[in-house]
Parts: sequence; C-alpha cells; structure tokens
Amino acid sequence: MAHEVNLHYRPALQWGELDPNRRQSTPVGMWAWIWQRISAIAIVFLLGLHITLTYKPLVQFLLLTVVIFHAVLGLRVILLDFNLVNVKYQKALIAGLAVLGVVMVAIIWTGIY
Amino acid sequence: MATSAHQRRVIQVFRYDPTRGGDGHYDRFEMDVAHPNSTTMLDILIRIQREQDPSVAFRYACRVNMCGSCGMVINGREGLACKTNVCDLPPDRDITLRPLNHFPVVKDLVVDMTPFFKKYEDAMPFFSPRTIEPEPAVIPPDARERQDIGLATECIQCGCCVSSCSMVNYHDGYAGPAALNRAFTLLADSREGRNAERLRAVLQSCYNCRTEFNCTEVCPKELSPTRAIKYIQRLALKHLGELSRPAGMTNATEEPAPPVAVVPFEPVLQHAGCVAGACSVAAAGGLPDDPSRRQFFRRVIMGIGAASALGVGGLLATAAVGPTLTKTPGRWIPISPMDDLAPAQVSTVTMRYEVTSGFHKETVVKPVMICRRADVNNMVVFNTTCTHLGCTVRWDAGKNIYVCACHGGQFDHEGRVIAGPPPRPLDTYRFKVENGCLMVEVV
Ligand code: SF4
Ligand code: SF4
Ligand code: FES
Ligand code: FES
Repeated sequence: MAHEVNLHYRPALQWGELDPNRRQSTPVGMWAWIWQRISAIAIVFLLGLHITLTYKPLVQFLLLTVVIFHAVLGLRVILLDFNLVNVKYQKALIAGLAVLGVVMVAIIWTGIY
Repeated sequence: MATSAHQRRVIQVFRYDPTRGGDGHYDRFEMDVAHPNSTTMLDILIRIQREQDPSVAFRYACRVNMCGSCGMVINGREGLACKTNVCDLPPDRDITLRPLNHFPVVKDLVVDMTPFFKKYEDAMPFFSPRTIEPEPAVIPPDARERQDIGLATECIQCGCCVSSCSMVNYHDGYAGPAALNRAFTLLADSREGRNAERLRAVLQSCYNCRTEFNCTEVCPKELSPTRAIKYIQRLALKHLGELSRPAGMTNATEEPAPPVAVVPFEPVLQHAGCVAGACSVAAAGGLPDDPSRRQFFRRVIMGIGAASALGVGGLLATAAVGPTLTKTPGRWIPISPMDDLAPAQVSTVTMRYEVTSGFHKETVVKPVMICRRADVNNMVVFNTTCTHLGCTVRWDAGKNIYVCACHGGQFDHEGRVIAGPPPRPLDTYRFKVENGCLMVEVV
C-alpha cells in the first residue's frame, strides 16, 4: 500500500497575508497599536524638523498633535496595564482619550498662540 | 442583522494542495443560501464538499461551538465556522474562508496545530494541587479568585486568538494568548501548587503582548486573553522580589512550594536566548516561518531605527556642539554717534544684532551703558548683564551706582561690586570710534 507521496505543509500564513478582507476586519485596538507606532516615527521626524526650522507654526502644531496623540494612546495602555480601567472598556477608552487629546491640543495651542 | 431572505453568495475558499506545494490560491464557489440567519460557514463548506467539490478539506467535529476544531479566518477575521452565520457577513461582498494564521497549512483550511499545543504545554496548563485533600476544595462563587478567573477556563483551544495576534509572528518564543490565558486560570487559583514555576515559564511571553486586543475581539468564547496577560504582568510586579531571585522562589500565592514542585526549569532562559531568528522552535516542531520575510522586516525596522537615531542625534549634536566649536570672530556693532552721548554722564543705548547659533537665528536686543567721563576720550562701555544671575543692570543717576533689581546687586561707577551677591565687577565691551560713531565688539 505504502507508495511514497511527498507532502509539504505550506509555511504558516502570516497576519493579513493572502487575505483580501483583513484590513477592513482589523479591530480598533490593533489600529490603536499601529498608529501609536506610526506616531512615534512621526515624532522623531517632526522633532528633527522642529529643530531645523524653528518657530514654524505648522511644524509646531503637527508636533504637538502627534505627541499628544501618542501620549493619549500610551495612557490607554497604562490604564489597562494597571487595571485602572477594566479591559472591557478598551474601545470606549480610545474614543474618550481621543476627545481628551483634541481638547488638550486645543487648549495648549490657543494658550500659546 | 440582515434579512432571513434567500441570498445568492459567492464564497472564496483558500486552497492549498500539499502534493503540489506553492503559495495557495482561492477557489470561487457560488450558491443559493435559503436561510442566511441559520446557515453557518460550516454548513456552507459541507454543501460545497457535497455539491461542488468533494476535495475541499476542512476540520470539524461538534458543530456546536464546543470542540474548537473549525477555527478559520472568515472575511478577514478569525472565528468558528460553526458559529458564524451567513447573515453576519456583509451581503454585498464575497465571503472569504482562509486557514488560521501562524500555523503551517496541511491542506486547504486545515492547519497543523502542533505549535499551538507545544506552547500550551510549555505554559504548564495542568492542575497540580498544593496539597492532596480527601474532600473537594470549597471556593465560594463570590470569592475574589473565582470572580477573577470568571469564564477564562472555557477556552476550547480553537487557536483563533493565536492566529489573530500579530505578535506571534514577530516573537518566536511567544506563548500566545491561549496558553497565557490558561496559565492565568491556574495562577489565580489558590489550590494550585506550582505557580512559582509557572509564572517564570510564562512571564517572558507576557511582555510580548502589545495590548492589541485582537485575541479578545476574535475569541468565539468571548474570553479576553488580554485581560489574562495583564493579570499575569501585575502578578509578576507583585512578586518582583521573588522573581529576581534565581531559584527556590516561594509560590505566587505566598506559601512555599511543595518539594515535588522542584523540577528543572528553563523556558524563560530559553526564550531569552532566542535572538533574531536563531531560535530553534521551528526545529522543535514549533513555528516554521519564512526567514527572508522576517529578516526583511527586521532590517527595515532596524533601518528606520538607525536612521531616526542618526537623524536626531546629528541634529542635536550640530545644534548643541556646533556653536561652541566654531570660534565666531568678534563683530563690531555700531551703537550711536558720539555726539549723542553726553560727556560726564552715563547713557543707556539699545543695541541690536543678529546671531546664528546652530540652526537658530535670532536678533539680540540689549541695552549697553556708556559711561563718558568729563575727559572726552576716557570712556567705558558696560555690559548690562548682571554678573550674578544675568538680570539687567541699570544706572541709578541719583545714587551714582549701577543697580540690579533682582537680588540687590550694586556696582560703583567703575563697575566694582559694592553690595549684593554679584561675584565680580560688571563686564565691559571693547569699543572703538569710527567716523564719529561708537562701535562695540560682541562675540
Ligand atoms: S492583546 Fe496581546 S495576546 Fe492578544 S492579540 Fe494583542 S498582542 Fe496578542
Ligand atoms: S482563548 Fe478563545 S480564541 Fe483563544 S483558543 Fe481559547 S477559545 Fe479559542
Ligand atoms: S465544529 Fe466544534 S467548534 Fe466548530
Ligand atoms: S542677578 Fe543681579 S543681583 Fe542677582
């Protein structure tokens, strides 16, 4: 009976690989994580610009926004890490903290200019 | 919810033939679904197999969300085929069925779950009682630990969470959400005897979690491995002292571990040694991966890191060190026509000039005090910056002294300190007169 068949497992599929519907099915928590990383890179970049082009309101505004965005998402993880907010509110936390972030940007910006 | 009315649906099923290999592709099937509200993906697959293509491979057993064998990626999100109804998926789009991520594909929708159970085992998923009691332990339903553990013991090992967690891809040694959730149910259990060991076995993994909540979103049993992971992290924080001690640590719930618990114990070290692709999980039947893809990502990330560090470092260095390295030659700034400066008097004149420091360009506006004596050529130009802490000094004509308002520093007409904290006389500028105009030298 035993005739030789060569069977090969396909290497594991990776997240999103060959998956046309993955992006639209990505949950908000994952986006929060991705955007926090992106904002981190943006901060580094804008910091460079901020030093090169001093006192450019556009750069300053972008830097402020991105820093606060990044901070607010970091705050979310801290709150969840230490169980200060129940994990079941993780999505509400994103919305709530985003609003807080916008308010902070507005206050700081109008405070400066 | 969509209607229960009859729908015509297109189903794209991932196909992989192990005798041929390759990347895999999607096959398109079309069918009428009479009751979208009560037709599951599993029903669809069974129909495809019976009516259209008998070679489609998928796994199932219980058909009622209990066995965990039918986990797959449905429309881009992990779920049980037997729990996902046609009406749950948007009617205007094709349905895609694809095997779970992070597991080798055996055929079509069937994956090899070996890595899952290997990691599950590493997390010590079994109960080993602290003491052997003849009677069952009584944990009241409202006990803290009972509440903490909640339904987390309901996991059916479907692998959905592990598939959804992108960190499983990036960290070879990562135990993954299901194993950590299991470890949590035991770590929180006061009857358990080997928690010290277990905590050490899983702790490293807990730091691979990035709080993405993908696992929580997809778990068909509505468990939250994220919550479990956070719990373990906090537990570790509480037992930081014991954890940093190399061995013989006391139990996580404060009692010494029974002697049977002394088993050689390495996993944490193993994982720590798991540097950049040199890990042997693949060889041990664990996660196979695509080294070129992984390496590529690693390189891209390291590249971005290095470029950012260089960029910022360079900018900061130029800004901070640059100005001190280039010895700027003194510049002569015109102050005032000599005729405007009354003899035998101190006049204060504001001077203005531009300085460039690093990337900054700024205009300095600063008063200087010109003290002209009766003898026209005898003149001193004082710097108004107080030698104490840098406030602006002004001339008090009534008292014939220079005073600093900040901390009461006083200087006589020659600039020597007569009162207050300033440590040395007022600084003076070098000056010259050119075409009847007074110029001072700034550096
Ligand atoms: S919360 Fe943690 S374990 Fe769950 S998917 Fe995210 S990274 Fe993975
Ligand atoms: S935690 Fe949920 S998703 Fe993960 S294996 Fe268990 S039942 Fe499946
Ligand atoms: S077949 Fe058992 S969970 Fe779906
Ligand atoms: S700064 Fe002038 S006395 Fe302190």
